[in-house]
Amino acid sequence: MKYLIVGNGVAGVNAAKTIAESEPGAQIAIYAAEHYPYYNRWQLPAFLAGELSQEEIYFYPEQWYIDHGITVKLGLAVKAIVPMARQVILTDGAEVRYDRLLLAAGSSPAVPPIEGANQAGVFILRTIDHALAIKEYAARARNAIVIGGGLLGLEAARSLRVLGLSVTVVELFPRLLPRQLDIQGAGTLQELIERAGVKVITGAATEQIQGDGKAAGVRLKGGTVAQGELVLISAGIRPNTQLAKEANIQAKRGILVNERMQSSAPDIYAAGDVAEFNGQVYGIIPAAIEQARVAALSMMGADVAPYTGTIPSTTLKVVGIDLTSMGEVNPEGEGFTELRFADRAQGMYRKIVLRNGRIVGAILLGDKKNVSPIARLIKAQTDVSTQASRLSERDFDFRTLFAPAAPQASRYECTVCGYIYDPAKGDPEANVPAGAPFESLPEGWVCPQCGASKAMFTRLED
Amino acid sequence: MEKWECTVCGYIYDPKKGDPDNGIAPGTPFEKLPDDWVCPQCGADKSMFEKKV
Repeated sequence: MKYLIVGNGVAGVNAAKTIAESEPGAQIAIYAAEHYPYYNRWQLPAFLAGELSQEEIYFYPEQWYIDHGITVKLGLAVKAIVPMARQVILTDGAEVRYDRLLLAAGSSPAVPPIEGANQAGVFILRTIDHALAIKEYAARARNAIVIGGGLLGLEAARSLRVLGLSVTVVELFPRLLPRQLDIQGAGTLQELIERAGVKVITGAATEQIQGDGKAAGVRLKGGTVAQGELVLISAGIRPNTQLAKEANIQAKRGILVNERMQSSAPDIYAAGDVAEFNGQVYGIIPAAIEQARVAALSMMGADVAPYTGTIPSTTLKVVGIDLTSMGEVNPEGEGFTELRFADRAQGMYRKIVLRNGRIVGAILLGDKKNVSPIARLIKAQTDVSTQASRLSERDFDFRTLFAPAAPQASRYECTVCGYIYDPAKGDPEANVPAGAPFESLPEGWVCPQCGASKAMFTRLED
Repeated sequence: MEKWECTVCGYIYDPKKGDPDNGIAPGTPFEKLPDDWVCPQCGADKSMFEKKV
């Protein structure tokens, strides 16, 4: 079976990996427009800031592809698809046959039609080449403007600040990170960003990038002018659907796929930023990975549970700010309950969204220790209704919510001596009744066999 | 013991440190982590981790 993959990004590489691991000897070929080996695109802001080298952001070296039997052609892209002939045509004119084709060409930055965007000093940030160009220009600039206060915009703004520029973020929406945060969370985040030395203007539409062939600043609707010789546009993504549309494969915002990641054309699949599932283009890594795996297994004809969507989860990677947003955080309609804890002075904001007694979304700003427990509770859809009133307490320990009735509580193993705490038995000698989950044991409890502290225990798989 | 990296956010699981806040003692190799363990930084599934090359 000949597998052909368009795109050497998260979706393409994860699909190739899944196929290679499940079907040793499979013929897998990846064609990529970029010249660089597979790298962590989300690390570009850190690379821009000079905190990571180019080598450090590469994820799989050439040898990885060789070891997995995957042929990868960098800088050689697919120019056209001929579905009826099960062929693609490459940019060098070659025609290549396939048995299964995966479209994982990702997305490109969306560039709104702003007057003056074609000048020197105006950039987008999506590739290593973009980052190198920005770095070079930044060395000669004093002020920068970032159009778009989303994840990339904020991370890039911080990087430009690290490079010594004075930075202003201009966001169209009334608040930063409109998809990941609510009004209160965004307000708290904005304060943290401003404390980090980045200026923020929200509710502002950019009308023009001023300059005489070289960017000098931006003019916002309403007349405000912000100075900046370097302008970075980070205003969202546009899936790269041209190839599919030209081949009459159905696409709206993204290439339309079903729960097996199949497109409208036979033996052609799509995954990642380029794909649209149930009206949604996720544009985030977890979705690209999950979709790639489903697509790969579907392509192989293997048994795979249908894809039902990805719980959106994003983490802002700005040093000094801990922000993770998961699931449904701006619910509309009936049936949702929102529980908050906020301490603005400390830069802390937590919101939990419940539906039917289960956590379906969370904003965690300055509350890192609850990221893992809440992620697990969302995944497991644990009923937390009996404790709902306590979820807005500052120090509420979300880990205590995992502890349902005894039959499902996990056993824990002492890593020092191997003793296994079995909740079904408890530890009667220490006045711990049968049925007590490990998580409920007091902090001072120790291993009955060797005296090791609770911290030396590891949870065993069920 | 090898370190594993979260492909979603870059968090590095170091077996020497474990993840004690979430019930994983120092010294626990990645392979022994329960299936429902998630990245403590971003909440990503255990399946999103790769061995650090």
